[in-house]
Amino acid sequence: MGRPPLIVVFVAIVVIALGELGGAVLSQLRPATARWAAARIAANPTVHGLTGSDEYDDAVRERTVFATEAGLSFFHTHAEGTGLVLFFAATLVASVVRWRAARAMLYTLLTVGALFPLGYLVYALAVLSLGRDNGIELAETWVLTPLGSAAIAGLVGLALAQARR
Amino acid sequence: MIPPPNATWHLPPRGVLLAAVVLLVAAEVGGASMGRYKLELARWARTGMLEHPAVHGLVGVRDVDERVLDEALFRFDAGLRLFHMHAEGMALVVIATTTVAATLARAPAARRGLILLLTVGGVGYPLGYLIWSVLIPAYGVERSKAIAEWLVWIPFGGATIVALLWLAALTATRMVRR
Repeated sequence: MGRPPLIVVFVAIVVIALGELGGAVLSQLRPATARWAAARIAANPTVHGLTGSDEYDDAVRERTVFATEAGLSFFHTHAEGTGLVLFFAATLVASVVRWRAARAMLYTLLTVGALFPLGYLVYALAVLSLGRDNGIELAETWVLTPLGSAAIAGLVGLALAQARR
Repeated sequence: MIPPPNATWHLPPRGVLLAAVVLLVAAEVGGASMGRYKLELARWARTGMLEHPAVHGLVGVRDVDERVLDEALFRFDAGLRLFHMHAEGMALVVIATTTVAATLARAPAARRGLILLLTVGGVGYPLGYLIWSVLIPAYGVERSKAIAEWLVWIPFGGATIVALLWLAALTATRMVRR
């Protein structure tokens, strides 16, 4: 099997390593993370629409902390996955795509696409600083959608390249 | 940036590939068993919990005990699911990362060390979820979690993380030297 460029291999390994680290941090520091998230929400009452009513504010806080934890959890699972997708897909590119420019284009799309899980880190942080709905919208619009589209385009390109052979 | 067309991967040792494939098989069998023997597994776990009432804080009041048992059964099931998912993922991580180590680590000692850490860490880590589940009926949710953590997750997960960071550094060094 052909070997992709070292930069592609490096990104794949780093994304997998970040996924592992994220999982370890998530499992060891879950209470501390929840406490930190709750403190960030309390520090931005207007953004989160806190009213001063305990019952309502607790519900808002709970939902937002849950969104932050979900973002971190998605980061862990997606990073493990997209790192492997990059490794195996780029190996296929190196093995079956003969045209150099096409190879370079596919490597670029797949490598950028492998950074998709970073969108979930942005998601986790943005819900705390911008509020739940605005934070999710920011992460989806500016990070998850473009990076996810790059991954899809790269995989479609690889499928087309294989179909042409 | 684009390597020469003759740049190829070197396969890791056959024992490593075998360990990864066995882990994949265990993951698949685990997933299938969870579906096929769901009731039997739940019954086994419940019987084990009822044999250790003090461990689970059972008080003999049905309404209270059922809630406690449901929670512990949920964790028991979650442990099996996490074993299934992590074993699938880590088997592929072992194949991918040991392939990189076998290809890029030139010094035999570094190559052997990396491959050993990646294989032992990657194959061992998911077993922690299985151990957690199996221990829940006898030791309770939190105590069995602590046992799995210290016996498996921290040493094996730590080995994987250290090896991945080492591999990333090695890959970066090779990039810079070219």
